[in-house]
Amino acid sequence: MIRLWAYILLALLFFGFIAYWSTFAEQFLGHPSQITGWALFASVAFLSLFSFRKRLPFLKILGSASRWFLLHAIGGFLALSLFWLHMGSLWPTGLGDEIMATLFYAVTLSGIIGLFLEKLYPHYLTRSGVECIYERIPGEIAEIRSNAEEVLVKCAEETGSDTLAQHYLETLHWFFQRPRFFLNHAFMGQSAQHWVRHQCQILERYLDEKEREYLKQIFALADYKRKVDFHYVAQRILKGWLLIHLPISVAVITLTFWHLIVVHVYFL
Amino acid sequence: MATLSRPKRWDTPFSPDMTDEEVQKLLEFKEIAAIDKEKFPASTPLEGILKNDARTVNYQSGDIVIREGDYGNSAFLILSGDLRVVLSPGLPDEMLGRTKIKKKSFLEALSQLWKKTIIPEVRDTERYRDRSLRRGSDSSTAQVFLQDVPAVLDSNKTATLGPGALFGELAALGRLPRTSSVFAETSATVLEIRWQGLRELRKYDDGWREAIDKRYRENALNAFLRATQLFSHLNDDTLQAVADTALFETHGKFDWHVTYNKMKDLDNASVIKEEPVIASEGDYPDGLLMIRAGFARVSVKKGNGRQTLTYLKAGDYYGDDELYRAWKGEENVSLKVTITALGYVDVLRVPSNSIEEHLFSHWEASNEKDVAPLDIELFDQTLADGSLREWTVQERFINGTQTMMINLDRCVRCDDCVRACSDTHQGNPRFIRHGKTFDHWMVANACMHCADPVCMIGCPTGAIHRDLSGGMVIINDDTCIGCETCANSCPYSNIRMAEIRDSEGRFVVDPENQKPILKATKCDLCAGQRMGPACVFACPHEALKRVDFREAFSGVFEGK
Repeated sequence: MIRLWAYILLALLFFGFIAYWSTFAEQFLGHPSQITGWALFASVAFLSLFSFRKRLPFLKILGSASRWFLLHAIGGFLALSLFWLHMGSLWPTGLGDEIMATLFYAVTLSGIIGLFLEKLYPHYLTRSGVECIYERIPGEIAEIRSNAEEVLVKCAEETGSDTLAQHYLETLHWFFQRPRFFLNHAFMGQSAQHWVRHQCQILERYLDEKEREYLKQIFALADYKRKVDFHYVAQRILKGWLLIHLPISVAVITLTFWHLIVVHVYFL
Repeated sequence: MATLSRPKRWDTPFSPDMTDEEVQKLLEFKEIAAIDKEKFPASTPLEGILKNDARTVNYQSGDIVIREGDYGNSAFLILSGDLRVVLSPGLPDEMLGRTKIKKKSFLEALSQLWKKTIIPEVRDTERYRDRSLRRGSDSSTAQVFLQDVPAVLDSNKTATLGPGALFGELAALGRLPRTSSVFAETSATVLEIRWQGLRELRKYDDGWREAIDKRYRENALNAFLRATQLFSHLNDDTLQAVADTALFETHGKFDWHVTYNKMKDLDNASVIKEEPVIASEGDYPDGLLMIRAGFARVSVKKGNGRQTLTYLKAGDYYGDDELYRAWKGEENVSLKVTITALGYVDVLRVPSNSIEEHLFSHWEASNEKDVAPLDIELFDQTLADGSLREWTVQERFINGTQTMMINLDRCVRCDDCVRACSDTHQGNPRFIRHGKTFDHWMVANACMHCADPVCMIGCPTGAIHRDLSGGMVIINDDTCIGCETCANSCPYSNIRMAEIRDSEGRFVVDPENQKPILKATKCDLCAGQRMGPACVFACPHEALKRVDFREAFSGVFEGK
């Protein structure tokens, strides 16, 4: 916490210094937008370094990733403040600047959403009661499906009835095929749980005592699969938001370079 | 109904090659002939011990018999030939078949960026050709040997061990690291006795017991007592008096990792019931219990089960408070807790009269009482408060000194830790971000660098060893022969056998049988990297920590 507040204070001081300097720049024949522009460029460049730091985990001199993460998050808000200071408004004029502003807002928004998701999802993933490695989830689902089908075969062999198997083929098979209820899981909804319970409930009255025991096993597997599905959805989102954030960041940096060149060639 | 003969102690002898003729020859050897056979029970005869708990091993000149720092479970009796024990400062690590850890420079560290390969487990096979290994009769045995014995003798202080000399018994019985290295000066035949047999010999033969105890009292006991805070103020004579009265006890099984794997599916209550009792709640305190090696559970009765309050490890002691109160005249003083062996534990019991005479009288004279009663807060803790502690003791994670603990409420499952591990190990991650979970904590499948490293027991070449400077358990890839002893012994399944490949990605195979060459791999705590464990350094959310639970329980985890 001390580190967090120290970095926030640093960011505030930096912003205050730039704001102060740009206010008095004209008195000394300087360009306020040049000062805020270079400060903004420096902060954007610094933000992009986080990605490089991740690729160099063996260099002690760079400091820990947790420190970089904190600096990246605070630096993002600093960059946004400098962006507003540089523009002098919330929205620029001119097509080129509008494209840049759109991308800048997009990268900021995706960053804030990412930060929010990274605080939100881990808690729910833990509470799901299972732990899955993302890359292994397809294999895990295949194994659950295979176990479920084994239960159905056993049930048919022992009871001579195909009611459970028939119902499985008509409804539950869809559920066991691959991750389902993506959107609902993304918003921590209960639809999957409700659907599984409902499918088992409507079947119960047509089963005898022995078949019900097998249905219980199917329900347990479906419930487990529901939790694995949630892991799939949450982990995909946790990994996926970066696929939006990173390309837009690259676009912002590229346009920033272009903006710098244009400004220096035509305006200064 | 399926039937199975009841398993017996000697179903798996130490060596299947020991014959009755060989045992008869051994019985004529002076040190063994002196043993009174009549004192051994019918179920554990001396002949049986020699046949099943011992084996004869032949060494050639230069072969290393034991290495300083290794954990072993056997003692050695020289039958013929001469061995040399290397006196301080000992042989260099490279000579013993170990890795010399050198911290990477900035450029060396940076070069890892382009040196990593997408082909897994690539090795420079040329490197293995100049190793100091002498192959045994099959691929799972090998000896590290010294190539130039006269040069070693010239440059090191050594002492000769001749026929009849017994060595390695203290480390074997006490589960302690070997204190020096021994190698064969000439061709030699040695009787290797595994700890179970050694324990029986000590138990039933007065001569062996006296010899072993005498050596322990002379060599290690005083140093151990001196290192204990309670006795640090005693002068040499008084310390010797305490040492003379101390009793040695061992509880549990030396190869606890085998039973631990079998007990994994049992519930907590059943596991505690199986644990050998060292002292019982409500009993009269008859002495101070000091843990020399291993771990002990401290528990109290709770409902129909037992609640674990804490655990004791090497250097910890219990009973001083109760003994002191009884000495001061308090009536009906009894032990407040039950102490049971967690796996294997080696205990010193210093009788109450010795403690009263040498310790309490000193406290009384100097008006200072150095008793540290078990933390009162531990007795007041709720089941919820102590649940994490209960779990870590139950799972024996307390054995770890660098356990990888992940806070799942912070972890975003980004696998930056795994990538960082891979980046620092030529593209091969040395752990899996998966493992047992409790509440919002996960103990990941990464080497915990245990205080009691059972993986090190039985390594034929000493390739897996503890680095004496950093304390981490590491594997020397050059001398690992892929026998899987360490991987099979690790109770936590944290060692993986990797099929190695050459630089072109082809599997390296043994030309004799075309079987792939295996190497044991595990977390080395990024030995050689300047920033410490890369996994910790790379976690952006500070979710991953390497912990010693004793330190962790003093505030890092509980209550969070």
